[in-house]
Amino acid sequence: MSNYLRRVLAIGLLSAVGVGSASAAGDSKIALVPGGPHPYFAAWEQAGKDAAKDFGLAAADYKVPQKWELSQQNQLLESLLTQGYNGFLIFPGDPVGSVSTVDELVSNGAPVVGGAGCFKDPSSASFCLGTDTGNSAYIGTKELLKTLTGTKKRIAHFTGFLVDPNTQLRIDAVKKAAEEEGATVVQVIADIDAPEPAEEKINAYLAAHANDVDGIITSAWVPAVVASNAVRKIGDKRIKMVAIDHDEVVLKAIKDGFVNGTMLQNPYGQGYIGTFVLDKLRSGCTVKTDAPFKKNALTDKFIDSGTAYVAADKVDTYVDAMRDTTKKLFETFQATYLTCK
Amino acid sequence: MNGSLANAMRSDWFGPLLVTIIAVVIVGSFNPSFLSPLNIQVLLLAIAVNGLIAFSQMLIIAIGQMNLSVGAIGGLCAIVFAGMMDVWHVPAPLAALSALSIGVICGIINGVLIARTGISAFVITLATLSVYKGINLGITHAQPFYNIAESVKSVGQGAIFGVVPWLMLPTMAVGLVLWFMLNRQPIGRFILAVGGNQHAAELSGISIENTVVTAHALSGFLAALAGLLLVARLQMGQPTIGDDWLILSFAAPVIGGAILAGGHVSVPATLLGVVIVAIITQALVLFDIDPFLVQVVLGAMILAAVGANRFRESRLSRKLKRL
Repeated sequence: MSNYLRRVLAIGLLSAVGVGSASAAGDSKIALVPGGPHPYFAAWEQAGKDAAKDFGLAAADYKVPQKWELSQQNQLLESLLTQGYNGFLIFPGDPVGSVSTVDELVSNGAPVVGGAGCFKDPSSASFCLGTDTGNSAYIGTKELLKTLTGTKKRIAHFTGFLVDPNTQLRIDAVKKAAEEEGATVVQVIADIDAPEPAEEKINAYLAAHANDVDGIITSAWVPAVVASNAVRKIGDKRIKMVAIDHDEVVLKAIKDGFVNGTMLQNPYGQGYIGTFVLDKLRSGCTVKTDAPFKKNALTDKFIDSGTAYVAADKVDTYVDAMRDTTKKLFETFQATYLTCK
Repeated sequence: MNGSLANAMRSDWFGPLLVTIIAVVIVGSFNPSFLSPLNIQVLLLAIAVNGLIAFSQMLIIAIGQMNLSVGAIGGLCAIVFAGMMDVWHVPAPLAALSALSIGVICGIINGVLIARTGISAFVITLATLSVYKGINLGITHAQPFYNIAESVKSVGQGAIFGVVPWLMLPTMAVGLVLWFMLNRQPIGRFILAVGGNQHAAELSGISIENTVVTAHALSGFLAALAGLLLVARLQMGQPTIGDDWLILSFAAPVIGGAILAGGHVSVPATLLGVVIVAIITQALVLFDIDPFLVQVVLGAMILAAVGANRFRESRLSRKLKRL
């Protein structure tokens, strides 16, 4: 996303709710911490900066553990707490294993919100703000199946880290959507949210089974990128594909007709709204007990940050789709989910 | 004829070659598309990059040490290569040269720290792994570099006769040079001598420090070259390049009969070790193994491959003793 678009998004959000920084705590120092290095979370950095500026926070910094390891994330979080960070938006390194660290942070007066992934209940996290990953994979599969005209409808599913709590939800959702439409998931290739294994396994699969598959659904960033390149390389537009996220490679493959569409997530909105809420919680607001939270397999306090299917006709204006989603959520967020004096 | 066969059977590469042939026959008979030109090309692409990663670790095993920072060096050099083309529009050859130089410098830093401080290579490279990976993340903020030169992309996608990827050429060249160096050149003999018995090597007048630093510099160079090849193959500079290299970097030389204590490695056997791991990885995909069991099966099959080679070696050595 360009800086211009980010500014437009931030200004749009501010004007939409008329929020000033009057109620913001000037000493709020928020950390946005993903589970490890991953391009999906890059939008959190700008979102934190924009939110810090817009709401007058002391800081809202994006801090990345060096590896996807729970122990590294926990050490980083404890270190940040000692450095004076007093609010945390966290993608859980492990939905259960991270809970004790969250409890430790909250007991030290630093509110925690789950971002992009949820902590397993019960936890001290205020709520979880993320993509309804199961729903996103379900909608994406349905969109893919709409494009398949044959009777067999055989699809392959390429997805992410097995330790990611969302992966099993995605596998189940794709299977459910396929069964509803009379399609078959002929293969699931998982644990390929890193470039080398994704390249090796996806290409090996397509080299051997390109004729045995009619469609591909991807539900993680790197597999989507690698599969987009792979279908472009074999040049077989017979195989339909629905990707996920907004990597440049994916968007170009959609424009060129090798990929049919992509399921957008909303990482910028998660970072921006998450930071805003953490500041509010520090300023004395509380989460409404009767707020209309959704439920998922991990928590009863889930808020969907939005998802949208973008095909070739809207690929040039995908930022508008993300902005609309964020704007809608932000406009009503405080009134819906928070009680502020 | 019998003498040649007996000689071949005694060599390090015979066992891995046998395992490779058996694996190809089994996988090919169950899934004929395994031997299709496209699949062979995919297999060779994996071997091209993984071969360099294995050679990078093999050189350090040869001196009786280990290099945990192979992946971090490769990843750093990959993003330097891609980043220079993307951000500064540096021509690809110059960017490649800079990235390879950084690989050598990283290796020299490892070697000097190990040789001068006397701290174990495990500890030093564990620390530098963190440093190099941290620099990578500091530069990229976990964002890929996309604007790779077209020439690099075409090399990464191209294949000779539609089957042999261009990326195989540097790996084959490196393999030949390493074989020649380890078997015919003084520096190669020094490396093996230091790994075999450091004290004896020192008494023979070999400079331990120079040898250790040279081995690490070469290891850094090869890790950097693997990173460059991966950028060409992926057509982007991903910050996560190198994160998965560690297990493979040890598995292939060990399958190839390398002694972890040092002093004995084999270039062709290590390359065959890479081939075996690549075939196993592909077979798991082709046979639709449950994704939650892939790691278990992969580990078990690598153990089986190492075990088969060790079994052959022990039988051979018993036979030789009887003679």
